[in-house]
Amino acid sequence: MIALNTAIFKSAQGWLTEIGQYAGVGIERSLHEPMIPPSAAEIDPVSHALNRLTFGPGPGDHARISAMGVNAFIEEQLAPDAIDDSLCDRAIARFSDLWNEPLGEQYDEDPETLPPVLRRVTLLRAIYSERQLFEVMCEFWSDHFNIDPTKGDCRWTKPTDDVRVIRTHALGNFRDMLRASALSPAMLWYLDGRANVKRTPDEKPNENYARELMELHTLGVHGGYTQQDVMEVARCLTGWTIRARKDDGFAGHLLSPFTDHFAVFFRAEAHDNGVKCVLGHEIPAGLGEKDIDHVIEIVATHLSTAHFVARKLCSRFIADDPPAVAVDTVAAAFATSKGDIKTVLRALFATPEFAANCVVKFKRPFHFVVSALRATNASTSADRPILSYLERMGHMPFRYPTPDGYPAAAIHWRTTLLWRWKFALALANNRIGGTSIERARLQRRVGSDSGLMATLLGRTPRAEESDAWLKSGDGLALLLASPAFQRC
Amino acid sequence: MPDETHIFENRDDKRTLVVVFLRGAADGLTLVAPLEDDNYHRFRPRLAVREDEAVALDGFFGLHPNLVALVPAWKDGDLCIIHGAGGESDTRSHFEAQELMEHGGPTAGGWLGRFLRGKKPAQSPLSAVALSPTLPELLSGAPAAAAFESLAEFSLSERRGGSRRSADFPRELRRLYELESDALRDAARNTFDAFARFEAIDPNARPGNAASYDERDSFAHGLRQVAQLIKADVGLDAASVDLGGWDSHFTQKTLIEPLMLRLARGLAAFRQDLGERMATTTVVVMTEFGRRVAENSAFGTDHGRGSAMFVLGGGVKGGRVIGPWPGLKPEMLDGPGDLPVWNNYRDVLAPVLVRHGANTDALGKVFPDFLLKPLPLYS
Repeated sequence: MIALNTAIFKSAQGWLTEIGQYAGVGIERSLHEPMIPPSAAEIDPVSHALNRLTFGPGPGDHARISAMGVNAFIEEQLAPDAIDDSLCDRAIARFSDLWNEPLGEQYDEDPETLPPVLRRVTLLRAIYSERQLFEVMCEFWSDHFNIDPTKGDCRWTKPTDDVRVIRTHALGNFRDMLRASALSPAMLWYLDGRANVKRTPDEKPNENYARELMELHTLGVHGGYTQQDVMEVARCLTGWTIRARKDDGFAGHLLSPFTDHFAVFFRAEAHDNGVKCVLGHEIPAGLGEKDIDHVIEIVATHLSTAHFVARKLCSRFIADDPPAVAVDTVAAAFATSKGDIKTVLRALFATPEFAANCVVKFKRPFHFVVSALRATNASTSADRPILSYLERMGHMPFRYPTPDGYPAAAIHWRTTLLWRWKFALALANNRIGGTSIERARLQRRVGSDSGLMATLLGRTPRAEESDAWLKSGDGLALLLASPAFQRC
Repeated sequence: MPDETHIFENRDDKRTLVVVFLRGAADGLTLVAPLEDDNYHRFRPRLAVREDEAVALDGFFGLHPNLVALVPAWKDGDLCIIHGAGGESDTRSHFEAQELMEHGGPTAGGWLGRFLRGKKPAQSPLSAVALSPTLPELLSGAPAAAAFESLAEFSLSERRGGSRRSADFPRELRRLYELESDALRDAARNTFDAFARFEAIDPNARPGNAASYDERDSFAHGLRQVAQLIKADVGLDAASVDLGGWDSHFTQKTLIEPLMLRLARGLAAFRQDLGERMATTTVVVMTEFGRRVAENSAFGTDHGRGSAMFVLGGGVKGGRVIGPWPGLKPEMLDGPGDLPVWNNYRDVLAPVLVRHGANTDALGKVFPDFLLKPLPLYS
């Protein structure tokens, strides 16, 4: 009987949710019972894991993970497909038409349609998805393989890059992701690969992608490649292009105006088919479109790549300037697993340095905003009013202009405190359009003032925090704006 | 070396760059008319600015009479005009041309955003502002750029129920940050410092030097707020203010004459208000493209190429119209009969950005894939 009631309740809840979100009203996470708040005076391993592997704990998360254990939580998060994510699916359901459209048809959308939808869906997923580590990694790789959709035709092609490159491989294999990125229509446009041609003996290949491939995507700027290597990689990749919206001399003729836009193809007549030498490896003449496989293999398995990616991951998950011993451990896992991202993350979370570096990270604005929404169990439509706060903090998703992606280190983000404080005040007082919290209900469910404070902080409040909570006249806003809530 | 410095150490850098974008493609040939070019009057029998009504500049060019408020700046050598200015693309689409010009080419992000990000990490939460509902593309990618329509939005003392929030919240917040011992405490001090300066601004204070803004005019109001931020030393590096409505295909005079009045009066009030601070404040006025040289049958003009740009203040060597002006001979016109682009907008912006702290290396990043030939605006 109880089970039946629950089923009816869940179905009604789903139904109401759908009506709500079609009407532009947000949905809220269903909370895990019991909602016992953290009771330790310092960040414990459970709160630490929640701070780093997720976009922040919501009410009940600490109790759930305490019960299952941190290692089981890590394993759960490393297998995202096994996690039920129906709430998040409902939250983004109304955008799914755009998602499932063939790339060629997306081109028919108004140029201003797709990038805002991509931003909104990304925010909704970060808030509502139970596959939190997967979403965190999607954010990480979106910065690593950054593409700003405001460049030319990327406004139509970036959403597909998000699906086929980032989300397909976020917890997969690095080499596969790298190859998918190299032949992604958005990347071919963003870093001018489509215009990298050698049709006459005098024509000089475009080196833009070749350089960033090694500097930003694989070896790192001091990874041991030379200008000669950049030129040789560019030669290997000549001829790969897309059937663009307008033929500006680099794209082939459209075969079909309806389905053919942005199709990736290889122009043999624009390829430099001579012998090349990349990072000491000779690539024989005449391989044509097979050159790219050699390039990907060479750069993906280079030891500098293992180290470069490992250091970036350690900066994200351990500390801005991570201990060398942790980087070495993670780089070794990368090399021996041939870039298996789950193996790499497992090794990272097992380092003593991960455990030892609690609360030393400064949340980036996106993390801060999402963690505040999750901590207060907010309901949001993720529409313009909330995105505008991210814009003011200089951290609108998919709006970073250069290929290096949003920076990770705290120094770049400290001037955003002002807008964090204003956001905290606006959220706590329900003054953000399309976003709401039910403060009294929230407080009731976690038990008390101190229960709510512990839920937000991941530990029991310090005396001065409790004191400030009382004296500020707006305890919830104060805690969201406090130094402790800016850290993770 | 500490990884950041306190805002006070940067107080010496008082330079502010203000970009005024005239959206809709403003007609440079009406703003700054080539009075002595006979072809101008032939192409524009009904719309040309007449010599007897124009404000003479240099014996060849004249300002439209509605721009008369700019004359003191011109006479003081504080206003430089660049004619035949625009982008290299021959798209005559507003959307595409604005985007190209705001991005600084077919690249991602705004040129002003890249300039700001290239500087050392900003000290002030108010280093870049746009007086508009959303962030304009030219500021895209800037660190912590704020878009707002009224400075009142910026306050931490939010109004609630008609009464001002008490000082309890900021005081308690500050107390918590003071307990920190690292860069986070310094960042909070910087922010509170900017706040204090901001909150000291009296929105009703009279502008400096008896300047007078038209308070009903949103453009003038925007400039007035920018001036308030500059004078309050909140650490403002760049500001963006738009003036739209220049797309004059039909009855051009009725459309753009009021706009010219607003533009000139707003800029004149801003300059007077800032007084000596204009030495470190540069205003750049730009538009996505100019308009067809020949007027159309509807007393209007269609989409063209070259227009005019203004550079006001900041030590510019003004009192000059930078051309060249080979004349409006039909065979010299571009495409369907447009004023050619003799001066790429980047070559105007480059020396201004140098003036505001960019080095050669930074310029290459602000304007990638473009061979800069900076105009001699300061000599």
